[in-house]
Amino acid sequence: MYKSPILKWILGVYYGLFLLFLYGPFIVMGILSFQPQNGGPQFPMRGFSIYWYEQLLGIIGTSRAAPLPVGPALVRSLILAFMVMVTSTVLGTITAQAFRHRFKHTGFMFYLVMLGFIVPGVLVGLGVALVSNQLHIDKHWWLTGYIVHVIYTFPFSFLVMLAIFNRFDRSVEEASASLGAGAATTFRKITFPLVFPGILTSLLIAFTLSYDEFPRSIFAGGPQLTLPLTIYGQFGIEIHPNLFAFGVLSTLFSFALLAVFAILIAISVKRRARGRGIQEEIR
Amino acid sequence: MSGQRGNWFTRHWQLIPGSAWMILFLIAPLIMMIYVSFWTQTSFDIKPDLTTKSWQTFFSQPVYYSALWNTIRVWLIVLVGTFVLGVPVAIFIGLFVRSNTVQTILLVLAVIPFWTSFLVRIVAWKPMLGQNGALNIILMKAHIISEPLSFLLYTEVGMIIGMIQIYLVFVVGPVTFMLSRIDPNVIEAARDLGAGTGRIFKDILLPLSRPGLVTGAIFVSVLVLGEFATPASLSGRKVNLLGNVIVTQVGSLKWAFASVAGVVLTVVIALVIVGLLRITDLRKEV
Repeated sequence: MYKSPILKWILGVYYGLFLLFLYGPFIVMGILSFQPQNGGPQFPMRGFSIYWYEQLLGIIGTSRAAPLPVGPALVRSLILAFMVMVTSTVLGTITAQAFRHRFKHTGFMFYLVMLGFIVPGVLVGLGVALVSNQLHIDKHWWLTGYIVHVIYTFPFSFLVMLAIFNRFDRSVEEASASLGAGAATTFRKITFPLVFPGILTSLLIAFTLSYDEFPRSIFAGGPQLTLPLTIYGQFGIEIHPNLFAFGVLSTLFSFALLAVFAILIAISVKRRARGRGIQEEIR
Repeated sequence: MSGQRGNWFTRHWQLIPGSAWMILFLIAPLIMMIYVSFWTQTSFDIKPDLTTKSWQTFFSQPVYYSALWNTIRVWLIVLVGTFVLGVPVAIFIGLFVRSNTVQTILLVLAVIPFWTSFLVRIVAWKPMLGQNGALNIILMKAHIISEPLSFLLYTEVGMIIGMIQIYLVFVVGPVTFMLSRIDPNVIEAARDLGAGTGRIFKDILLPLSRPGLVTGAIFVSVLVLGEFATPASLSGRKVNLLGNVIVTQVGSLKWAFASVAGVVLTVVIALVIVGLLRITDLRKEV
């Protein structure tokens, strides 16, 4: 089947069309973000300028379009994503550690964690909002918003760490201990380097998911909006190319994050390849 | 006994933080939602006097119960759409491309949009689909149509196109991953032993890629069933899903009524997930 050259060609062409379908809207958005001042959020292009980028970043004071209120929201979203990624990775690592021992109801615990992304965000947000109304607890992005974000990212951190521990040879830790290394040395020299790529992956996924999260925050996030909620607020009103400029910048930001992650992973892999001399260090 | 319990604690305390977070902040609020759905709703307030009035309203007024059917219809269309469009891509990358490097590059290209903002992906469809949108301009330039198509934006069609593009990634990723792990020698051996393409598909490819198919279906189902942003934006609020009912009702502080829609949505999701997990227990796949 996979040897048929005709079929391979047909599927190859189809793959090309698929990429066009996937990236087409991004390309169009990218082009339109360079509309000049009198250009609208659609074709034709009335020229080519970085006017809407300047407008977005507040370099140009007055404009026919209201500025996107992204500044404070961006700061909130970054702080929140940072809090969430740390909590989620710690919770995910501890819970995945528990799965290294046998215990009853493994399946129950597994699906309890998975519920965090199986239950739709709008329901999680609604439930938490109801409880906080009832208990008269004020909703804030750093309190109830933070709680619902961790519910969402925890399953992903857990799965990543579970996959890491499943491929982890327990005997290297035991060997280290029997060679006289203390618990701290074993963790620093053996356990941590082995699980480090997993921790990095978990941090990246949790950060990205939290940074982009909005169905949960819409009810549980409180009055001070995070970045996605600010953008969602633009959905009901007339859009201008500054929204596209924002889209381009936020896409570049996501890619930059991915690039930093790739570089860190590459460094850690190289160090491990070099670090075959771990035995000597312990000695 | 107490010694055993102490033993249990030192060995299994690691289960406590994770399960506490999920039970306190997820399970308890969902139970609260079920409870509130039976509260008495007045125009400005809710009281914890139990009644089934909100439930009766939901199932007697077409505006609301039609949201249930809309949700199920849109879910089925998008699920079938993402599989029909996504599985050939997975077959191409997973089975036809032999070089590992090329495989990785093609897969990364296919899943990278997952890393971009969900809302940006929705917004990006507006200049594509509108009356003066890029799609109409291209089709008219190519002389395929003479008048711009008006059914593309602010209709159910536009919303479905947007959703399929946004959720395709979740089918392509897991299915490609499972297909690429199949040893080509197994297929070769089956062919040598006289198995036809249909037999190879049914007895080798389908069972070996099943966890990927189920994972993809769960992702797409969960995300589509809970949708409210794409319909609000790309259908021009013409299509109302259960998610939209919840958002609107909370917006007018009708918490009891929002909770009814929430419980209905929970039941739908539970049925779908339990059905999908009967095909494959994902716990065994990690």
